[in-house]
Amino acid sequence: MAEPVLDIRNLSVNYFTPRGTVQALRRINLQVPSAKVVGLVGESGCGKSTLISAVIRLMAENARVAAGEIRFLGKDMHHLSPRDLQGIRGRHMSMVFQDPMTALNPVFTIGRQMKDIQYRDAVSGKEKLKRAADMLSLVGIPDAVSRLDNYPHHFSGGMRQRITIAMALLVQPKLLIADEPTTALDATLEVQIIRLLKDLQADFQCAILFISHHLNVIAELCDFVGVMYAGELVEKGSVRDIFHRPGHPYTKALLECDPSVIAEPTRFLPTIPGEIPSLIDLPEGCIFHDRCPRAAQVCQKTPPPEVSLAAHHTAACHCLEV
Amino acid sequence: MDPLLEVAHLRVRFKTKSAVKALIEKDDDPYIDGVMGVSFAIEPGQTYGLVGESGSGKTTVARAVMGLLPVHSGAIRFNGKNLVGLSRDRIKPFRRDIALMFQDPAGSLSPRLKIRSILAEPFRIHDMMPENLSVEIARLLKMVNLSPSMGDLYPHQLSGGQARRVGVARALALSPKLIIADEPTAGLDVSVQGEILNLMARLQHDMGLSFLIITHNLAVVRHVSDHVAIMYLGRFLEQGPTQRVFHQMRHPYTQALLSAHASPDPDAVHHRISISGEIPGLVSRPRGCEFHTRCPRVQEKCRRQFPDKAETGKDHQYYCHYPLSVPEN
Repeated sequence: MAEPVLDIRNLSVNYFTPRGTVQALRRINLQVPSAKVVGLVGESGCGKSTLISAVIRLMAENARVAAGEIRFLGKDMHHLSPRDLQGIRGRHMSMVFQDPMTALNPVFTIGRQMKDIQYRDAVSGKEKLKRAADMLSLVGIPDAVSRLDNYPHHFSGGMRQRITIAMALLVQPKLLIADEPTTALDATLEVQIIRLLKDLQADFQCAILFISHHLNVIAELCDFVGVMYAGELVEKGSVRDIFHRPGHPYTKALLECDPSVIAEPTRFLPTIPGEIPSLIDLPEGCIFHDRCPRAAQVCQKTPPPEVSLAAHHTAACHCLEV
Repeated sequence: MDPLLEVAHLRVRFKTKSAVKALIEKDDDPYIDGVMGVSFAIEPGQTYGLVGESGSGKTTVARAVMGLLPVHSGAIRFNGKNLVGLSRDRIKPFRRDIALMFQDPAGSLSPRLKIRSILAEPFRIHDMMPENLSVEIARLLKMVNLSPSMGDLYPHQLSGGQARRVGVARALALSPKLIIADEPTAGLDVSVQGEILNLMARLQHDMGLSFLIITHNLAVVRHVSDHVAIMYLGRFLEQGPTQRVFHQMRHPYTQALLSAHASPDPDAVHHRISISGEIPGLVSRPRGCEFHTRCPRVQEKCRRQFPDKAETGKDHQYYCHYPLSVPEN
């Protein structure tokens, strides 16, 4: 395989808080190959957002990379000067945020904002506006030229998310990071946005790191999937491996909880009993053992090894059914 | 059985400008319609699901039933008694029997009160202080699977699922007959979503509660509700028993909404009925059938005239000029 666009190796991130050190990410290994869509799925508090903030180096003040490295296009993101970093962010790496209502500046027109983000390019303002308009029509905003003069509040939520996607792709990045871009939208708009991302990804040939807690969206969009739980990447593999042949008990439980896969109507839905362990006092052994239906003696004592189930499909578990 | 709640031809309008401004601008109809004549009934111990995209008027219906919004016309009968037009004092006793679970659980809990005080508020407001309040509050917390010691916490110390359960406990405080749950699972992880729905199902079974559930999550509605209404721009485009609406839908919007859900199977071949665009605003309500701007089956007639009500069998109604044919079986 060619060198990945993004290569996360053995990454651990800690937050220093008055109550103790929160070990938010532990030993994450994840590669995003060129022009592929990698999905990260997990529940609240699993560290998805921390991982993105580390990748784009926009971490909270009290966060530290405790170990590991993040290589983007061969460069170590955490040993770059601010100037080099600026040359990467918004140029080779861009981002679509969760809430389209707050991602755009309310006091400038869309045209102005889309023109401003092209500040690096030595072309005329007129040309920049033309590019912006072309991009808007590409993401399905009708009458793009005249809409450049509109302000964000003139657009609905779905339209604004299309605009943020247009802006993120305007710079033709190598990597697009999308943090729950459809969570704030209705189902009918969600599928429209997913389809749009899929089409544009094929056109632009950029890699996408897609974060969501919505399994079905991941299934539709992604080529590879990583499943996170309490700060660890418990399973990763191709989208078919994860959805058709899940190995890790957590992945299985998560897939079973989805009410849309249960054919017979039922009033009592499956759940995952228990809660996420404290990331300050980590439990010994496997991080999932106290909620795991398959937990054995060894799971309480020893952290599980990463077991290879197929090519590019691994799960961190003692009790895999091979 | 007589319905617990019966809503007939409910219409809610919002004023768009002041009376003076309307007079100056010679606008003789300064209103927009939030809810355009919906009718439904909930029987004791049953769950009614209200489904629609944002802006379809689901929450407006709920607020009107609670008496939190002025009703333009129509009737809301609770246990046979019409609540429309009742004064604040006269409606108060009914509010004990109808409780509301708000959409944003964390936002609906006062950040300055401990959980214990939040749960005591319904009793205080309705002058129904139990003899031993702390026993009562412990009982409520236990009912929603929280430990009584949680009463000493503040809302910010709770997780999303726990905050949601405090919302359930507060709704249960005065032993209501009907609970209106506005997006009870929005923003929750799938594993926690199941816990809340199971809790609601258990309470319904134990206490004979009725639920009006408002959601845009069709997967949830399919499991938990007996009847369902599909709402669009203030109208019920289709309503009926859940199984019927899901498997023998007649309205193209219902079909589109059902097929709009992403599938957990990466190999699934999607027979997706695409609807383009977004729900139009209430201000720019389309003429004729409101759905015609997005409908894949639209014809000339749809642009001119709103369709009459059509019924197929028991309780299943829809409004469409060119309905889908009924599938075999």
